[in-house]
Amino acid sequence: MTTEATLPTTSASPTGRQLWTRARGITLALVLLLAGAVAIAVVRSDARHGELDPRSADPYGSRAVAELLADRGVSTRVVTTLADARAATGRDTTLLVAVPDRLTERQQTELHSATAGSGGRTVLVAPGSASVERLVPGVTADPALSIDSTLSPDCDLPAARRAGTADTGGIRYTSTGLGADACYPSRRLATLLRVPETPQATTREATAGDTVVLGAPDIFYNNHLDEHGNASLALQLLGSRPHLVWYLPSLSDATAPEDERGFFDLLPSGWLWGTLQLFIAAALAALWRARRMGPLVPEKLPVAVRASETVEGRARLYRKAGARDRAAAALRSTTRTRLAPLVGVPVAQAHAPEVLLPALSAHLHGDRQPLHTLLFGPPPSDDAALIALADQLDALEREVRRP
Amino acid sequence: MALTGRAALLAALGSLPVGIWDAGWTGILAVNGPLAVACACDFALAAPVRRLRLTRSGDTSARLGDSADVTLTVTNPSGRPLRAQLRDAWPPSSWQPGTEVAASRHRLTVPPGERRRVTTRLRPTRRGDRQADRVTIRSSGPLGLFTRQGTHRVPWTVRVLPPFTSRKHLPSKLARLRELDGRTSVLTRGEGTEFDSLREYVPGDDTRSIDWRATARQSAVAVRTWRPERDRHILLVLDTGRTSAGRVGDVPRLDASMDAALLLAALASRAGDRVDLLAYDRRVRALAQGRTAGDVLPALVGTMATLEPELVETDARGLAATALRTTPRRSLIVLFTALDAAPIEEGLLPVLPQLTQRHTVLLAAVADPHVSRMAEARGNTEAVYEAAAAAQAQAERHRTAAQLRRHGVTVVDATPDELAPALSDAYLELKAAGRL
Repeated sequence: MTTEATLPTTSASPTGRQLWTRARGITLALVLLLAGAVAIAVVRSDARHGELDPRSADPYGSRAVAELLADRGVSTRVVTTLADARAATGRDTTLLVAVPDRLTERQQTELHSATAGSGGRTVLVAPGSASVERLVPGVTADPALSIDSTLSPDCDLPAARRAGTADTGGIRYTSTGLGADACYPSRRLATLLRVPETPQATTREATAGDTVVLGAPDIFYNNHLDEHGNASLALQLLGSRPHLVWYLPSLSDATAPEDERGFFDLLPSGWLWGTLQLFIAAALAALWRARRMGPLVPEKLPVAVRASETVEGRARLYRKAGARDRAAAALRSTTRTRLAPLVGVPVAQAHAPEVLLPALSAHLHGDRQPLHTLLFGPPPSDDAALIALADQLDALEREVRRP
Repeated sequence: MALTGRAALLAALGSLPVGIWDAGWTGILAVNGPLAVACACDFALAAPVRRLRLTRSGDTSARLGDSADVTLTVTNPSGRPLRAQLRDAWPPSSWQPGTEVAASRHRLTVPPGERRRVTTRLRPTRRGDRQADRVTIRSSGPLGLFTRQGTHRVPWTVRVLPPFTSRKHLPSKLARLRELDGRTSVLTRGEGTEFDSLREYVPGDDTRSIDWRATARQSAVAVRTWRPERDRHILLVLDTGRTSAGRVGDVPRLDASMDAALLLAALASRAGDRVDLLAYDRRVRALAQGRTAGDVLPALVGTMATLEPELVETDARGLAATALRTTPRRSLIVLFTALDAAPIEEGLLPVLPQLTQRHTVLLAAVADPHVSRMAEARGNTEAVYEAAAAAQAQAERHRTAAQLRRHGVTVVDATPDELAPALSDAYLELKAAGRL
């Protein structure tokens, strides 16, 4: 290309190499920062993955319990939705609710109504005070936690007596109902509570359903199962029925009732995608409008001050201060200066009444008294008088100028 | 790189098939995938901006109020046609307000290997140098979906000169000058001091100018003629301090002073005088010295173009000292300053004797017609107080002028329109009186 060779380049946009040179430092810093953040997150991470999950072999998982139960002929099924949990309740089923606090109020109420007449066992792992009142009416949680984690049974529940000491220390409960077994007390409040179902629901049945509230999930954890009587207590609590339903409440469990559909459920789903596409278009339009044709050009601006500004300022000051005396003096003085040459008086003597007034009255053939008041009189008493004075001075000047 | 509105519009239209087809992410992908591919093709097919070659040509100066055309030649050395939008960026005061977008944007198409020219027309609103900023070029592909954008720097400076509107008065003032010179039939005998020649007596000549000795030598009556002085020095001193920044009408006092200074310089250079220029506030802002009659006006105009009022109090002592240093010979010093009481009384009056001792001093001040209008205002309270304040200001101005006249200074106090002719008249009077 000859033109390319003959003409020097004028391009001011950075080349790819320049961009890379400019950006590589900050890119490197960002990469290092990100890598460091990931590394720290991995090292410091104490997140309990799969906590209380019977399929998890992590220290806080519960696979060991599930395996032991399977050896003893108890089948374990994991459910994550309330609908499945409700469907699974029955006389030969133990329902374990892993984290009852994760359920919404409505879900808790529904779960309670499902388990109340089933005749099976419901094990609630460490429900908080709000949850436990809805799930097991009559039981309240104490706001203070127990100090010790390992406690001794101190009750008549056969399972507890056989298990001996166990890691149940956590939330402490009190029951107002009769016939509840309060075990593993810590300072007189139980950390394991077995509440039998109300008698009228179980009259026909030999084995009555019950609800077990447990103050801490420790006895189900893989890493605590072999300590004290944890394994024994866990197996007895969960192994009383041939089926175990392990309910892990999940946040994605949307069990919205049929009659409460939102606005978006009523729209055809295609329009939602269409709207998404519109948002993409809006983003593209924003990118289109955001790109400028080059930056603004700066320029040093000149000062813009009116030359008459001081005079205007003085006028406003006069008015604000009501300086009629000064205003009148200025107007009279100007008129005198202008009149003096017209009537043959030197400008230097224009402000002397004894020189100006006779010359003026000789010129006008009029009387002297109003002239003296007009040109040398006292300041006007109000603004109206000042306006009148200005007009009279003008009239006088016109009269003098008239040939 | 930049998107176009067309790409956004296509994406918006794509929401219809996405909505009707109802295929979820597949539908979104089916619409946006081809769009992205089309954009990429467009980008690849657009002519590269970096490789373009740009050169400028055109006007380098313009009078304020006129327009200047600056041409940009765009050469496309690539093998792809250039379809581009071009913005030739200049400072905002290069155009009348509101027209800058239309005036700076151009559309052009340059076939491969060819060159095209675009012309940017500047209509500056202020004096001074206007420097071209960058040229931004947005080159779009054949589909018009995606563009390449880049900038080029092609330096160019357009100097905006003072308008010199008072040059319309020049012919009449030159006619006056010729009368002084004795070149026209109307014979006004100049009071000049230089003896020119002897000629024969014509009835009507002043009998006092008859040269009796020459008459005795010849048979006819001879009269002496004089001509006005020539080769006098004139120093124009522009005060660029804070008082020169005040605007009378929409123009700073400094610009009005420049206009008068230019007319005087044009006149004086024709009259055979030498004109120098000094601009001063607290230091020398500009100095144009020792120009011959032919190029004094262009030199002054060029020097004045970049002068701006500074927001500082003028150092009258320094100004007088510099003026004295600049003028070793007896000359006419024309001082363009404001006739405000305080700066004159405190600054100029103490140093004035130094100047008037050797030189003739002429002071030109720009009066504000707005103050005169205020002085005549009547009818309501506000107007009367304004009239009083204006009367007070005018009285102070007259007092200051009288004070200066007592020091032997000729004072010309006129509104911007009248200042230039009034100053020229004052100059011609001084010349006729032989006071230069």
